[in-house]
Amino acid sequence: MKEKNSKYCYSQHLPCSRHTLEDKELLEKFAQPESRNMAFNQLVRKYQEKIYWHIRKMVIDHDDADDLTQDVFLKVWKNLDNFRQDSQLYTWVYRIATNECLSFLSSKKRKFFLPLNDVTAELMEKVESSPELAGDEVQQKLQKAILRLPDKQRLVFNMKYFDEMKYEEMSDILGTSVGALKASYHIAVKKIEEFLKED
Amino acid sequence: MKKEFKLSDIPKRNPYQVPDGYFDRLPMRVMERTASRGQEQAWLPNLWRPLRLAVAPLLLMLLFVGVYFYSMPTQPEEQIVNLAAVSDTAIVDYLSTYATLETTDFAELNTLREQELPAEVLNVSATAAEEELEYYNLHDIDY
Repeated sequence: MKEKNSKYCYSQHLPCSRHTLEDKELLEKFAQPESRNMAFNQLVRKYQEKIYWHIRKMVIDHDDADDLTQDVFLKVWKNLDNFRQDSQLYTWVYRIATNECLSFLSSKKRKFFLPLNDVTAELMEKVESSPELAGDEVQQKLQKAILRLPDKQRLVFNMKYFDEMKYEEMSDILGTSVGALKASYHIAVKKIEEFLKED
Repeated sequence: MKKEFKLSDIPKRNPYQVPDGYFDRLPMRVMERTASRGQEQAWLPNLWRPLRLAVAPLLLMLLFVGVYFYSMPTQPEEQIVNLAAVSDTAIVDYLSTYATLETTDFAELNTLREQELPAEVLNVSATAAEEELEYYNLHDIDY
């Protein structure tokens, strides 16, 4: 039995969880040895769904997404003491997740020797064989069209289209100008519509 | 004819799912990994101490071997080459200044041409040379 993604809210960019601790409070508690574990547990609960879905849409496979999500939080645990707070905690965690995704996909491409096409083909096979998409031809086509985008453009598309993130937040996470992100998203949408017409 | 397709025509939804209770278990799994990571980090310094004790004598030995080979005298071939490069005049000047000639040294004089070794080089008077010759019994010396 699979769990529906009901907790995942597309319509808001803030984490949709029932946890109440603010980031500042979390960081203060994390800095104290006696409340460190409790604070980190709260942090994971607060951001786990957003981070997991961000990764899952990039790597498609649940097991890969699960491994990467855990790796992301381990990195957060290791580096949270050094977090300078010149950006939001949420943005910082998202950036770690984005880097993990891109590194994972790059390493996959290196293994195949023939970059891009074989990895894309592998991801497309996963989409085709996904039981969640069985019977939903339109969604399957859309997912396959998204997979044909270059990795970074796919990231931009996912963050804007699915997560409805503000360009300013995306700019903080990806280290790219707002203008470039707007252009990238616009091009991605055009490409996807072209891909959908081809099929 | 191709169909005009707009992204906005497709209902926006997340098509993927996760196993039951996945997000309830994930924090616990992450916390377990942070705990094991902490143990790993504590284990490494413990390993480092005996490793350091084992490596220190090895480094000392390598240092000793290095110093030994560095302080070895240079090859004799190089000396020969260097002497060959010195001119005869320089050798004669050196010997006339610093060397005390022994009787045996005279034996070698026979092999030298007269013009190469002027009399004043020997730095002895004819009388002194004769006295020296008289003092030693040349027949007892095996050349």
